[in-house]
Amino acid sequence: MEEKITAYCFDRLDQTLCQLNREDCAIIAGGTDIMVLHKSRRGVPSKIPKPIVFIDHLSELKQVYQHHNDLHIGACSTYSELLENRLIPMPLKNAIKTIAAPAIRNRGTLGGNICNASPAGDTLPLLYVYNAKLLLRSVTGDRLVAISDFIQGPRRVQRFQNEILIEIILPSVLEEDAHVVFEKVGNRNADAIAKVLFAGFIRISNDRIDDIRIAFGAVGATMVRSTVIEKKLVGKTIPLADADITTIVAAFDKVIRPIDDQRSTATYRKTVALNLLRYFLSLKQYQTN
Amino acid sequence: MSLKDISTSVPKKDHKGKVSGQLPYISDVKLDNMVYGVLYRSPIAYGKIISIQLPNLPEGYEAVGAEHIPGPNYVKIIKEDQPIFADEWVNYIGEPILMLVGKDLNILYSLLHDVKVEFEEHQAVYNLDEAIKQESASGVMASYEFGESLENISAIEQGAHQIIEEEYETGYQEHVYLEPQGMLAIYKEDEIVVQGSMQCLYYIKNALLSALACGDDEVRVVQSPTGGGFGGKEDYPSMMACHVAVAAKVTKKSVMLVFDRSEDMEVTTKRHPAKLKYRTALDREGNILSMCVDLFLDGGANEGLSSVVLQRSLLNSAGVYKIPHFHAKGYVLKTNTVPNGAFRGFGAPQSFSGIESHIGHLSKLANIDPLEYKRKYLVKQGDLTITKGKFHDPILMEEMIDDLLYTSEYKKKKEKFQRLNQQDQRYKKGMGTSLFLHGCGFTGSGERDHIKATVKLVKSKDGKVSLNISNSDMGQGIFTTLCKIVAKELDLPYEEILYPYPDTKTVPDSGPTVASRTTMIVGKLLERAAKKLKAQWQIGVEQEVVEHYIHREMIPWDEKTFTGDAYPAYSWGVNIVEVEVDMLTGNVKLEKVYANYEVGKVIDERIMKGQIDGGLAQGLAYGYLEKMTSKQGRIQQKSISDYGPPTSLDVVSIESKVFDNPYADGPYGAKGAGELTLIGGAPAVQAAIEDALQISYQQIPITPEVIIESLWMKEGERD
Amino acid sequence: MIKFTLNGRTVETDAPVTGRLLDLLRDEFELIGTKEGCGEGECGACSVFVNNLLQNSCLIPIGSIAGADIQTIEGIMETEQFKVLDESYSIAGGVQCGYCIPGMIMASDALLSKNPHPSEAEIREGISGNLCRCTGYNMIVDAINLAAKKGDGLWKRK
Repeated sequence: MEEKITAYCFDRLDQTLCQLNREDCAIIAGGTDIMVLHKSRRGVPSKIPKPIVFIDHLSELKQVYQHHNDLHIGACSTYSELLENRLIPMPLKNAIKTIAAPAIRNRGTLGGNICNASPAGDTLPLLYVYNAKLLLRSVTGDRLVAISDFIQGPRRVQRFQNEILIEIILPSVLEEDAHVVFEKVGNRNADAIAKVLFAGFIRISNDRIDDIRIAFGAVGATMVRSTVIEKKLVGKTIPLADADITTIVAAFDKVIRPIDDQRSTATYRKTVALNLLRYFLSLKQYQTN
Repeated sequence: MSLKDISTSVPKKDHKGKVSGQLPYISDVKLDNMVYGVLYRSPIAYGKIISIQLPNLPEGYEAVGAEHIPGPNYVKIIKEDQPIFADEWVNYIGEPILMLVGKDLNILYSLLHDVKVEFEEHQAVYNLDEAIKQESASGVMASYEFGESLENISAIEQGAHQIIEEEYETGYQEHVYLEPQGMLAIYKEDEIVVQGSMQCLYYIKNALLSALACGDDEVRVVQSPTGGGFGGKEDYPSMMACHVAVAAKVTKKSVMLVFDRSEDMEVTTKRHPAKLKYRTALDREGNILSMCVDLFLDGGANEGLSSVVLQRSLLNSAGVYKIPHFHAKGYVLKTNTVPNGAFRGFGAPQSFSGIESHIGHLSKLANIDPLEYKRKYLVKQGDLTITKGKFHDPILMEEMIDDLLYTSEYKKKKEKFQRLNQQDQRYKKGMGTSLFLHGCGFTGSGERDHIKATVKLVKSKDGKVSLNISNSDMGQGIFTTLCKIVAKELDLPYEEILYPYPDTKTVPDSGPTVASRTTMIVGKLLERAAKKLKAQWQIGVEQEVVEHYIHREMIPWDEKTFTGDAYPAYSWGVNIVEVEVDMLTGNVKLEKVYANYEVGKVIDERIMKGQIDGGLAQGLAYGYLEKMTSKQGRIQQKSISDYGPPTSLDVVSIESKVFDNPYADGPYGAKGAGELTLIGGAPAVQAAIEDALQISYQQIPITPEVIIESLWMKEGERD
Repeated sequence: MIKFTLNGRTVETDAPVTGRLLDLLRDEFELIGTKEGCGEGECGACSVFVNNLLQNSCLIPIGSIAGADIQTIEGIMETEQFKVLDESYSIAGGVQCGYCIPGMIMASDALLSKNPHPSEAEIREGISGNLCRCTGYNMIVDAINLAAKKGDGLWKRK
């Protein structure tokens, strides 16, 4: 009664891409999300409705390297691998450390976190404030897309059937002149799904804000970021005036629209998101990290 | 290994099999003739079953329902209100209606998907508030009232300076034993053997005798290694046992039923949500003149053990305090939600959280440090209990408190925290205390009238002695502790005392493994049996010794008037907890935990420490971390992470000490310890959070959501 | 047919590719030391080593293990490291109901292989994916600490 599911596990990326060009497949990297998503009841195989392509063994997808001041992260790098890589910026490591627990981090991948597009994806707010660009590849070629364009809704991404996410590129991240903050609010200290995520990025020269980026997670269908609001702060002097902080908080108050669910309430999520924002904007000093 | 001091730790009997993973729990068992069972459960909270339509079942697959039960269709516990398979009315989402049985789980699940049941839905009662509002007599499953007359109290209240009224709420708590529930019925021509994860072999056996309407030798119950119980495997396994046993009878095959984690979280019993109302008269200085407590427990859809849980709640409603002119009444109310049942503490954690909170708040009104205020009312040896029983034995609480104040540097730290809190706008530190006791063993005359425990020691020709008792080791360590008691009494090496997994074919009914009774009651019986065996010891012969429970009458318990000695003895505890609260997120971080206990005499220090740390972790989490809710009759948190029991990163090391105070009727002076350790956690956490934020709370768990809301309200008051 | 190494032996299976490694180990290879506590990667009772890395076998599709080196508790039971852990857990009293313990031992071994002398915080981090409901973890933390001392030099980075 059960139809046999095919699984592909090619040695090379190009073979994998060819297969994806021929057939609509479910791509599995670490599988830590997909296996839960398609979980059956005890003792029964998962119900994945398509042929499967495994990609997490492909060495082409595991490279982490620097190009100028950009950081290129192979999409199938596991969280544990990234934690041990000296190129990965501390704030991203801190975010990764809050993900689940060691056994999951040994399997879950950064590319998986993106393509799974959970509203509570732990690394996503940081990737948004890093202006992450995603390199997608198919048999017809490569394309680059901004992470905020790629993620379109819960578990909905702008990936074509024949494409694979190859690299996550963090532009200019190695210039080391910005102050970056990451906060995860969960119900406990490990193995927690975020109730609120916050990432703040600020670059200052001569006490003035050159660049500021703010993103929230788990408070909407996708990460919440507004370049319009951010622009209002560019050129302002640090420490920010109370009135400026109030204006920015009020502006985000309008765009953050969280929900009630089994993990928390909309009121809590919004209040805490704005608390973390206010706290970030009220800091007297920002050190680069 | 010979035992000098009984408290000195020895290697645990079951260590090897557990550490290697080779000890088979029920889900590790596979038999040739075995099939699986899966349950069709009610998707609605309240209604009438109109029709049931089964899909075409392939060969080897069968449906088992109410019509197949040889005996009456209820799970024998206390009241006859819990159907084995609902056949007329369904009373909660998840109530079993029928079971499909067959070889392949994949096929079973898809068949289950095709079962069609038509219901006539009725208006359900979804929570305690709705049940209280209804005020219908039919919704009251049990109630008791006792204490000072209300006329006297109202006269006192008229002369009082102030009347303080508070309403307090506690939530669900889910056991999350690491091994999900599982039960197997092994079919044999002349007997059904039911084997599984359980605390109470004879509860199950009696339920089976009723359901199968069969003779005593036609059913047999065997405990499998049990991966945690905490009360969750006290009453619930009886229902599963009935399911698999009936199915085995019908199919003439061995039937295995093992739950998924999410199924286990949705349909098995939990700690009763409670509402407690306090009405206290104070004089000008803030001294207590009288107190009335109204207590409501959410029973869920069936009564189960709820009436007994209510008794313990009420018996603890004044905490460890001697309150002048005390009155209490309590109710278990029916709701169309998953039935609530036993959970470590059994009604006491709700009461202690409530009374410790209330007394703490009264101390603020009197402007006295909470601990100092609490000590003014602390009971002493010889004092009467709220049911006109007596605290017969010495009470060491004053000593235990002083010691813990010293260890924790309470005064110094409190001052330091106040200073720090003024400087740090984001993180606030606080310190809280709790004082508590636990009545050991069954309430009132339960041991004498209902349990009537019997133990048996069997000596083999080669001088090895086996414990034949019906008590389950579910991790708490009685394989080890009870063997130690017998070894010491017989002056034999501990290794020569055996305690096989109990099987009702060979063990007498020594009672269920509940109520912190095993060490004190069963241990004492074993001690006596060992003494007897020693006196009759003959080399090279098989010998058997049996001992029965003897009730030591003190002030006789009367359940109708709720008077007398509710418990033969009490164990005691003091906790101090330090927390740090994040004002931006409301997250609470435990920083330090200190705990002193008195349990008579410790039988094994290491096992006692295990009880302390494990019990406290659950108790602390009950106060701030673990949150389970039900919405329109459906449990919302169906995964471990959504519910949130503590991980290793949420618990901190616990500094604990146990005081000696041997109890004459316990083995080597031992009293109960298992439940006590949980009780003080939540109230101490609450007090610490209140101390950090200078805000009073009226509920547990105090989640970040509750904290953020309270900070917002406080802000509003200031503006 | 999927070929892989299981506890040092080369084995094969034709189980469905979307099946879980956990079920394969327990049902086909009768390795009962790997337990199921949640089936969602939230409890760690099913922890195994995949190519020397601690992973939750309930989240691993069988199709992905071709060529992998899988080790279960049964595969490490004869090692010196296991003996030290066994003894340390006994002395520290880290075992109560026992259901989490095989997974906990795997996590302990993984931690010590990576970090032979972990601090208390590192130990807590190392077992943070392994839920235990009986012990409150402290005696398990003590056990790992003790094992690190007793097994000095035994654990080397794999």
